[in-house]
Amino acid sequence: MDLLKEGLKEALLLLIRFDKEVYSIIGLSIGLSFTSTIFSAIIGIPLGLYLGVKPFKLKKTFTRTIYTMMSLPPVVIGLLVAIFLSRSGPLGTLGLLFTPTAMVIAQMILITPIILGITYNDAKQYGPSISQIGITLGASKFQTLKLLITEMRITLLIALVTGFGRAISEVGAVMIVGGNIKGHTRVMTTYIAMNNSMGNYAMAISMGIVLLLISFIVNSVLYRYVAGE
Amino acid sequence: MDIHITNLLKKYHDKAVVDIDHTQFKSGFIYGITGDNGAGKTTLLKIIAGLERYDAGEILYSGVPLEQGMMKKITYLSQTPYLMRTSVYENIVYPLKIRNIDPMTIEKKAKDIMDELQITELKNQLATQLSGGESQKVALARALVFDPEVLLLDEPTASIDPATIDTIEEAITKRNKQQKMTVIMISHNMDQVKRMCHEIVCMKKGKKISIKE
Repeated sequence: MDLLKEGLKEALLLLIRFDKEVYSIIGLSIGLSFTSTIFSAIIGIPLGLYLGVKPFKLKKTFTRTIYTMMSLPPVVIGLLVAIFLSRSGPLGTLGLLFTPTAMVIAQMILITPIILGITYNDAKQYGPSISQIGITLGASKFQTLKLLITEMRITLLIALVTGFGRAISEVGAVMIVGGNIKGHTRVMTTYIAMNNSMGNYAMAISMGIVLLLISFIVNSVLYRYVAGE
Repeated sequence: MDIHITNLLKKYHDKAVVDIDHTQFKSGFIYGITGDNGAGKTTLLKIIAGLERYDAGEILYSGVPLEQGMMKKITYLSQTPYLMRTSVYENIVYPLKIRNIDPMTIEKKAKDIMDELQITELKNQLATQLSGGESQKVALARALVFDPEVLLLDEPTASIDPATIDTIEEAITKRNKQQKMTVIMISHNMDQVKRMCHEIVCMKKGKKISIKE
């Protein structure tokens, strides 16, 4: 309990003091997670909507594959991305290993199946009925797509928030591909892991509290929106 | 503006579910389609509505293939219609908004249809929170508000209270008489079919077996 109290006190001090390092870590974490969520949404949402609505062969196999990919082990993904981006790897010439870009790539691989899966699941269930309404009321293809997105807005928002939550709380993959370099690739989760291993529990807890606070704010906004609907 | 169906064939897994040599739905008539479960009634209606593809044959509406832009004049109402996650009013005006009708006309048409179907008091309610009968009336209002030339109904009054059934039947019959709207309706309720329809089409195993006037 003392550790938690100390952590809370330290967290408040760090935030009130406007510690430059802490704020840059928080900023980088939010920025990277936001970027990977946006790119994953650009891929996952249209694909999830299309595949959910359209009947195609092997749909059941696709469903199982997507659900499996939603729980990809982050460390394995981090390892694979690191191998691909390492100097001797196929994409080594790009020089992306231990950069924020590599971290975004790893996060994207982890959260695209989540956003795709959540979107696909609801599109499969409700999409055909919504498309049917569009067609039978005389809507064009574009108008039907707009209707589909409007009707599935809560699902899409949940998919985005879940993806963002997974990205910002991810540690294994970003540690491997980012390297936890101070002022460059150090994010909240790697900061927590590092301080934990160094025995700086108060520092680790303080950043943990900030991470929880961000998660709480994001989910509160989502909850308010869903309740309002 | 008749609907002509010639050599229509629809298969599911190599089994013919609709196999009609020739039939005609005359403009301004109300048709009742009856038959056992699995007779192909819903599939036929969905094909005409453009919701199902068919494997062979031809469907002409006013001499023009259905696919060539005639779909906007035909609408389909299922037994459990999907209502959008918005107010009753927004559901009803949706077909008018996508047709870029002016706001004054939208307001008037929405008011008229809500009065006619006795759902004015539901105007601002969330459509997804309505009872079965109310939902069906809202879905019918949404289907009728843009004055379709053909209304396809798949058991529109199943599991609905008698008062609501009367209101729905009245609205459909009125449109048929006043605007010569063609109605093709699936129903297992023979009393309703006899009450409303000019002709009855019986289907069995995908085929049309008789037409009774």
